[in-house]
Amino acid sequence: MYILLIFIPILQSLLFWRTSNRRSLHLINVTGSFLLLLAVLSLLIQLQSSSAINYPLFNSFFYIDSLNALVLATTVLVGFFVAVYSVGYLNNEYKLQTDIKKIKLFYSLTSAFIFTMVLVATTQNLGLMWIAIEATTLASVFLVGFSNTKRSLEAAWKYIIICSVGIALAFLGIVFLYFSSHQALQGAEPSLNWSYLFEQARSLDAGILKIAFIFVLVGFGTKAGLVPMHTWLPDAHSEAPSPVSALLSGVLLNNAMYGIIRFLSIVNKSLGSSLYTGRLMIALGILSIGTAALFILAQKDYKRLLAYSSIEHMGIIALSLGIFTPASLFASFFHMFNHSLTKAMLFLSAGNVLQKFKTKDIGSINGLLKSMPLTGSVFLLGTMAIAGLPPFSIFSSEINIALAAFTSGYSIVGSVFILLIALAFVSIAYTLFRMFFGLPSQEQNSNEKNTLGNAVILLLLVTITLTGFYMPLFLKNIFESATRIVTGG
Amino acid sequence: MQTFLDLLSVLILISAFILTATKRINSYIKAFQLQSFLLFLATFTLGIYNFTTKGFLDIFILSIIIFVLKVIYIPRLLHNTYNRVAYKVEKDFFINIPSSILICAALVILTYYSLYSLDGALNIHIKFNLVNSLSVVLIGLFFMISRKKAIGQIVGFLVLENGMFTTAMLSAQGMPIIVDLGILVDLLTAVMIMGMLVFKINESFDSINIERLRNLRG
Repeated sequence: MYILLIFIPILQSLLFWRTSNRRSLHLINVTGSFLLLLAVLSLLIQLQSSSAINYPLFNSFFYIDSLNALVLATTVLVGFFVAVYSVGYLNNEYKLQTDIKKIKLFYSLTSAFIFTMVLVATTQNLGLMWIAIEATTLASVFLVGFSNTKRSLEAAWKYIIICSVGIALAFLGIVFLYFSSHQALQGAEPSLNWSYLFEQARSLDAGILKIAFIFVLVGFGTKAGLVPMHTWLPDAHSEAPSPVSALLSGVLLNNAMYGIIRFLSIVNKSLGSSLYTGRLMIALGILSIGTAALFILAQKDYKRLLAYSSIEHMGIIALSLGIFTPASLFASFFHMFNHSLTKAMLFLSAGNVLQKFKTKDIGSINGLLKSMPLTGSVFLLGTMAIAGLPPFSIFSSEINIALAAFTSGYSIVGSVFILLIALAFVSIAYTLFRMFFGLPSQEQNSNEKNTLGNAVILLLLVTITLTGFYMPLFLKNIFESATRIVTGG
Repeated sequence: MQTFLDLLSVLILISAFILTATKRINSYIKAFQLQSFLLFLATFTLGIYNFTTKGFLDIFILSIIIFVLKVIYIPRLLHNTYNRVAYKVEKDFFINIPSSILICAALVILTYYSLYSLDGALNIHIKFNLVNSLSVVLIGLFFMISRKKAIGQIVGFLVLENGMFTTAMLSAQGMPIIVDLGILVDLLTAVMIMGMLVFKINESFDSINIERLRNLRG
């Protein structure tokens, strides 16, 4: 099954170059992502009965437990939704027959991007994971700069430079970890396999691990968009084509956060408490939420605003990972899942709006609910969801995080957290809601429809509403066993 | 052998200083080439040592790959990129050279203090090598922010990467071979992509001066 996960995207990105038919390109992409989704589903079913799936092949690099199954499942799920959405999006964007080449390039880059993210989530070798995370940057640079305008090139340049440097720092962290296992386990063959390091965590040198953790937090934190390493994120998310923004925000950030989580569990086990890592994570988390809430207030571009909201949510996840109690870990995994789906939905609806109005400026769009009833209402409800209003799922995970903070003695952190998300709510409501109401301006540029895309965003809306009320048992099982894996209990 | 490796790590640090003292793009590509050659020597020595004592060939092979990639191929790639985009020599730095050197020296001292406060299992050679190689990483970072040209940022990134590789080689005797190879592949792709982006930037902005990249703010 694992082989399928790796081969479907590779095969896909090669197949695109064998055909020049628009229909078959779309068909290959959608089928490929659907097969990938099926493969992951079967893995999830397999995981219900065993705690981890391990392939002895290649020095047991391939290892799937509930934690990376969660990341993997969100990746392929959002990947599938984006694939379906892209059909209409690309048809509207590239109508001419001569644009076929663009579509080919877009599809093969996105499947390479998905491939690297699948790789991140399926290997337990921290070195390979690092390589895969670096490869996610490389695969998505041209997607960010896809429209070849001055602005998108600038975003792409910033993206590759800042992320490569950040990731290089994370590599130093991994070198330190490897080095400490080299030192601690004299004679034994040192290894970078996570399960092995986690087992041996107590014999690793605490001082070196502390330095390693800082490097990894800064490095993967750059990729996850934590303030103050976030500067590439708003540019890349706003300049990329909307399906790519959905992938970047909904999936890529999770993958980077996943790298931090793996490290966090080793370091916490080795130090015996979560105080050291907790302080760092909570500080970065609060800084991210606060900065993002303030920057949202100043935004004039709705995609950029959504990007800042991603920074806010990554901050929330970092904060609740920092608290590191079973309840808060559960809540942060739940939040990761919710944020992925909600933000993907928002970026996809933003894509519809952008295709219709050809502008990203909030001020020049009015009466969205009248001019685009379906996209407009999904966008409005999604905005409410992302701002943390009930009955949507983000509300329930945020309330869980706040509860976890208060019950584990972090009452100041909890209060600051609630204040800051209230501030973020106000900023989002103040800046974005004016787009939806009022009378639509007369000049409407195009009347293209993206029927499949509309179905996708509706489906996502239904999902995030349902999970706000009721969490299916298998989802709960995954979150719970992921929590057990991270705490080692 | 240990003394030789210590010597090489100092030389790698000095080559980073040479880099910050260069003015023209051609000369800092050469400085990078020199540093990569020193890195190759260090890896080569470790490779020979590993082969004679343990019979493993992997570090030796790795050193050959480093030589081909970092000493020959990437500098040539950078030269080509530069020749295709450059039409005039401009002043290329935000911070003048004497102050850059002073800042780099301060970075070395900072690394020294932060690592020597670490007591624990580290032996003296490893500490010494860590100070040198982490300083190279920091100098690479500083170089990236002190130059205006896009190629300067690429070279800074490469130097940072060299520092990273030196850290891995001299403290942990290299990562598992598949990881090392993966890193080199990633690095090669990154440099090629950056080179292509430099062309595109040059086409749309008529310059590779990154000061002009300031449409996206706030």
